[in-house]
Amino acid sequence: MLKRCISAEWLKLRHSRIWMILMILPIISVLIGSANFYMNQGVLANEWYSLWSQVGLFYGEFFFPILISISCAYMWRLEHLNKNWNMMMTAPVSATSIFLSKMLVVGIQLIFIQGLFFLLYLIGGKLLGLTSALPSELFEWFTQGLVASLTISALQLSFSMRFRSFAVPIGIGLCFTFLGLGMYVLDLGMFFPYSLLTMGMGVLSQSGFSSQSDYVLFLISNLLYIIVISLLAIHWMRKKDVVA
Amino acid sequence: MKAIRLEFYKLRHKHLIVMMTLILLVEITWAFMATSMSISRNPEIARWETLILMLSTMNGLFLPILSAICVSRICDMEHKGNTWKLLLTISVKRWHLYAAKYMCACLVMLWMCILQVFSISGFGIIKGFEDPLPFLLLAQFLSGTVLANMVIIALQQWVSMAVKNQAFALTLGMIGGFIGLAADLFPFGIRRLFVWSYYSGLSPVRQNYVNEQMQFITQDISDLLPLMSLLIMAGVFIYLAGSIHISRQEV
Repeated sequence: MLKRCISAEWLKLRHSRIWMILMILPIISVLIGSANFYMNQGVLANEWYSLWSQVGLFYGEFFFPILISISCAYMWRLEHLNKNWNMMMTAPVSATSIFLSKMLVVGIQLIFIQGLFFLLYLIGGKLLGLTSALPSELFEWFTQGLVASLTISALQLSFSMRFRSFAVPIGIGLCFTFLGLGMYVLDLGMFFPYSLLTMGMGVLSQSGFSSQSDYVLFLISNLLYIIVISLLAIHWMRKKDVVA
Repeated sequence: MKAIRLEFYKLRHKHLIVMMTLILLVEITWAFMATSMSISRNPEIARWETLILMLSTMNGLFLPILSAICVSRICDMEHKGNTWKLLLTISVKRWHLYAAKYMCACLVMLWMCILQVFSISGFGIIKGFEDPLPFLLLAQFLSGTVLANMVIIALQQWVSMAVKNQAFALTLGMIGGFIGLAADLFPFGIRRLFVWSYYSGLSPVRQNYVNEQMQFITQDISDLLPLMSLLIMAGVFIYLAGSIHISRQEV
């Protein structure tokens, strides 16, 4: 059933040109970050790490979470149009499959965005003539960022399911981005999905987790958020009457 | 006037102004917290200029996204309710409808700017800044922010009305926020090509580092007039292009 739901979601994305939206932000981030790195090479002497600080800061801290919000709002957009909620709820598929299929498709989009961003970072570094070895944390930044972005996507999918407006969940996402930065500054980052992304992608502190237990806590926190938010969203779909 | 009133009437149950105010309060809280921390580290910067500069910089990120959300909600209700054809059957010209929606968005965003000015005044008074309330600087800050908003709203409205899928309009807002935040890193000539860079560009206060010491440079209104004229021309062009394009577009 889940497989059919995923292919249905995939069908809905046909001709949507969502790939254009997904591609543009990583490209702009890397372009601006690399240009800034190039112009300030005297100060930014730490090669790949300095380049990461330039391309990753605004991307990971502010704009990737907003891009996730847009992507999630897009997944529910069709459901809120033309009384499609009624059609979907009468279809012989479970609420769990509907929600999980949307989350999996968003996950595929996130892998694409992250992959593109990291690829452009590598290309940018090579074009700028960086000769040192690649950061050993690069793979961790990629995977940890992906895990944290899945947590955010679970939350944003729930908001987008709940609110008919396309823009409202994105506004909430913007507020949460700043709240996440505040939680990170207050050392409470492990307890808020948006701060988990900051920590996972190493955009503010590239030193990574101080201990193995912190890393385990990061994973558990993400997993817990994904499970709890998904369960609540699925429960809401089962219990509440839809407004088409 | 009637058309503008009707736009607000359509928005009455959408809680748009409440939602926008809440998002703006997040920005203001963040800006004031950051300023408080800077002042506690360096009491010399307990000045109005610090506050104005902080909000001008943060506006570059927040206001393009807020404008996108505001305009998207005002235009998307017609897309979602399939009410464009209904609207066009009443004896109101298309450009008139376009202008009403534009004015409605501008008024909502004007409220955001006024709220910022009141917040700056309140924060400065509570913190006990030595200098008196700088009415001229605040008026300059307000006019620069409103002007930048008006141009960005014109651009957002064009996209929100031309493309039914609001993901594109909101992505444009997000890109605008990105450019608005990073604009000060661009060379001067390139910076001026982006309308989102004018939040900090038209700020009456700039910062400069001399011997690793931060200095505030207050810009006179006469220094900003050429930039303002450039922005007004860009705004009029974008608005007219959008209005003409949408008025001729088939519904």
